[in-house]
Parts: sequence; structure tokens; C-alpha cells
Amino acid sequence: MLRFYVEVARTAYRRQLIYRWANLAGLCTNVFFCIVLSSVLIALYHARPTVGSYNLRDALSYSWATQAMIMVVLPFGWVDLMLTIRTGEVVTDLSKPCDFFCYWCSRELGRAVYFLIFRGLPTYLAGLLIFQVELGAGWSIWPVFLLSLTLGTVTGVVFRILMNLAAFWMIEARSIVVFGLTIAQFFAGAFLPLVFFPAWLATLAAWLPFSGMMNGPAMVFLGKLGGPSLLREMLLQLAWLLVLTVLVRLLTKIATRRVVVQGG
Amino acid sequence: MFQALTRDIRLYLRLIAMQVKAQMQYKVDLILDVLTYFLVTALEFATLLIYFVPFPTLLGWKMGEVALLGAVVSIGFGLAELFGGGIDNFEVIIRQGDFDRILLRPVTALMQVSTTQFRLRRFGRITQGLSAFGLALFFLRDAHLVWTPLKILALCLGVLSSALIFVSVLLLGATICFWTVETTELTNILTYGGREMLSYPLTIYHQLMQRLFVFIVPLAFGTYIPVCYVLGRALPFALPNWLAFSSPLIALFFALVALAFWRFGVHRYQSTGS
Repeated sequence: MLRFYVEVARTAYRRQLIYRWANLAGLCTNVFFCIVLSSVLIALYHARPTVGSYNLRDALSYSWATQAMIMVVLPFGWVDLMLTIRTGEVVTDLSKPCDFFCYWCSRELGRAVYFLIFRGLPTYLAGLLIFQVELGAGWSIWPVFLLSLTLGTVTGVVFRILMNLAAFWMIEARSIVVFGLTIAQFFAGAFLPLVFFPAWLATLAAWLPFSGMMNGPAMVFLGKLGGPSLLREMLLQLAWLLVLTVLVRLLTKIATRRVVVQGG
Repeated sequence: MFQALTRDIRLYLRLIAMQVKAQMQYKVDLILDVLTYFLVTALEFATLLIYFVPFPTLLGWKMGEVALLGAVVSIGFGLAELFGGGIDNFEVIIRQGDFDRILLRPVTALMQVSTTQFRLRRFGRITQGLSAFGLALFFLRDAHLVWTPLKILALCLGVLSSALIFVSVLLLGATICFWTVETTELTNILTYGGREMLSYPLTIYHQLMQRLFVFIVPLAFGTYIPVCYVLGRALPFALPNWLAFSSPLIALFFALVALAFWRFGVHRYQSTGS
């Protein structure tokens, strides 16, 4: 069965390979936005040298890292599952002799691998060239970072599936998906480094599942987490992953107990 | 000639009214849509404000001043999104081959394209912009800002002009679709990227980017320059103060350029063929 899911992921990866020019264009937009963000950060840091152990270079590296991760973890406007529900195609997916949840997960993970290689890396490379951002806190951090990134990515995939499941109950769930993804991106550190948050907002962010999706991996990458706090962050990521997975499976079961497809 | 103009305006209003009526049929969806869009744009504005929690100033600009800039850009961009929605969506029309059908009708192509995709949810961003403006005024209450009728005029002209320039950029992007069949990222960079960029003081950016948005795609004339005038700050590149009122003329000129390019595109249009 595992072989099947690997093939699903591989097909999804290969399907993304076709959109070379769209990816290049998207890459340009990513880099442009990062330049705007970086300009704002550079201007802000004129007033103060460090914010909570983050100096200018840290903040720049953080921003480029999270922007590089966005297409991997929380791509804006992901409504693939919602569309299959709306058109009724979800019935064929549910009739397949494989697990519905695992199928969608492997599909999205295949895509995530593509975007890691062809969007994430080039974006961060551009940051290296233009702003000389950090190359990770030492070579030993890379395997730990990749583990944290994997946890974050899977959590992001599960969260996106959760948002799309709303389509089982609402005909136009697109606004829910857009809102959910935006909130997730905000609390994952895509808009601005979480370390800038005022105390009350930081506490709120700590209690939500989103910080583990991108903020956690970014902090690991910059070496901001020492031994015990590193372990704590990874355990928190794992915990939220499990919680969200249970939620998604529960909701799928409730939704598919009785699926009414419109149309003849 | 005047009759033709009134006929066109009436047709435009009629087509818009049709879509408004259609969207009002699903009231819950509409309210949810507007609310979501408001919250999403409010979140972007909140980011702008949160920057000032750890940092006191942004290259000398205080929170209220940056908030004012962000609000002005939001309102202008919101208006452009509202009225330029159809133009933004032009790639779909071209890709599906519907443009041939549009050309066969006895109404100008641009009129037909620009009256599609009129989405009421865009009012979410406009409302956010207006609320942000109120918030900015609250933050500026200690700044001893003297509001003269001239300043208010400069701002109003600026907002309308930036909306027109944004729509013109969308039109340029749509014309490029005649050849590329797909909206180029360049259009997205100039509209969405431009909006993001202009929400912050122009002086924080590289000289090249400043020149782009002042002299080539003159969005700064509708946003940054009127706000500089209102706040009593110097204009970029040592431009004279009275240029804060020149935004409508500049916007009109830019719009005419975009229109000319569109007409050129329509004239040279060859359908995708079967």
C-alpha cells in the first residue's frame, strides 16, 4: 500500500514539473515581495539594533526563509479538494480502494517536494545573493532543520485539507479557505517575524497550531533554539500534527457517512 | 457624440446593476465574502501596525504616518479591484476563446470586458481602507496635523488617480494577454507588488524601484506624494510641492497610453484558431 502512495506523490511531483514557466514567473513575484519586505526590515532596524535576539541579518534570513517555505507549506489559495467536492468528483476519490486522507496527503507531499526544490531553494538563493542572508547556523543544523520542515509541511497539508473539508457543508467555502490560510500564514510568521509580536499576541500564537508550520523550522534554521527548547518545539509540532490529523479523519468520516451529490 | 456617451454610461450602469442583483441573491455568501475580504486586508494592515511595537520609527516615519499611507493605498487599490475586476480576469476570456464573441457584439470590447467580474466582495478592502484611514487619524492626533481644504483635495484626487493608474496597469496586462494567453507575472508584480511597496514610504527602497513607481508607472503620484504633502514632508527627488495636485493629469495620460495599447492589441488580434 505504501508503494501506491509513493507513486501518487511521484505523479503529483511530475505533474508540477510541466509548469516550468508558471513556476519561474511565480518565483519572480516571490523574490520581488521578499525585496519589499527586506527593505521595510532594513528601514525599521535603523531605529533599533536587535529585537529579542534577532539582529537585522537574523530578521532578513527569517523572512526569506519563511517566504521560501510558503509555497511548500501553505500555498495561497489551495482549493483542489474543495473543487472536487463541488463538482462531485470526490465520490470517485472516496470509492477508491485507498485511504482518502492518505491519498490527498501523499499527493500534496509530492507537490511540496517539487516546490521545495524549484521554488524554495531558488528563492532563498536569491536572498543569499541580494542580501547575504545566513546559510543556516552551521552544517549540523541542516538534518534537524529538514526534520522540522517535514513536520511543518505535513501539518500544513493536513490543515489545508481540514479547511477544504468545509466544502462538504457549505457550497461556497472558498472564503473560509482563503481566510483560514491567511490566518495560518500570519501566525506562522509569513507576514512578519513572530518575534516582533507584542506579548499577548505571542502567547496567542504559541497556543495555535500554525507557528510550528513555518516559524518553528525557521527558528531551527537560524539556530535560535538550543537543546531542550529545540526538542520542545519538535514535540509541539508533532502534537499539533496528531491533533489536526485526528480532526480531519473525524470530519471526513462524518461528512462521508452521507454524501449527496447534486446533478443527474 | 454626447448621445453615444450617455448611452454607453447607461449600458455600463445596467451591466453592473445586473451583477449586483445576481450577487445579492445569495446574501449569506455575500456577507461572508465581504467579511472575509475585510478581515484578510485588515490582517495585512495589522502587520503594518505591529512593526511599530518593537520599532519606534520607520526611517523617520511614525506609526500614524505610515498607517495613513497604507490606508490611502488600500482605498485606491480597492476601487481599482472593484472596477477593474473584469480586466484583471481577461486571460480567462482569451483562453476560452470568448473574445471572438465579444467582438461580434455592437458594443465596444472594452466596455464588455470591464463590466464582467464586478464583485461586491471588493467592498471589503475599501471598507478596510476607510477604517484604516480613521485609525490613522486617531494615531496622528498628537502630531498637530493641520488639515486644510487643499490637503483634503490632494488626497481625494490622489486616491482616484491611483485607482485609475492601477486599472490602467491591469489594462496593459490584459493587452499582453493577446500574445501570451496568460496574465504575466509582471502585471501581478506591478499591481499587488506595487500596492505592497507603496504602503510604505518610498524612501526605504532602492533608487531604481523609486524611479519605477514615480516616473514609469506613476503610482507614487496618487499615494506617496499626496501623503507627503499632507504630512508636510519633502517630495521624493526634490520635486516641487504643487505636483501633489497633478495626479489626475498624470493618471489620465497613463490611462490614454494603456487605452492606445489596448486598441492596438484588439486591432492585431488573431483568434487562437481551431
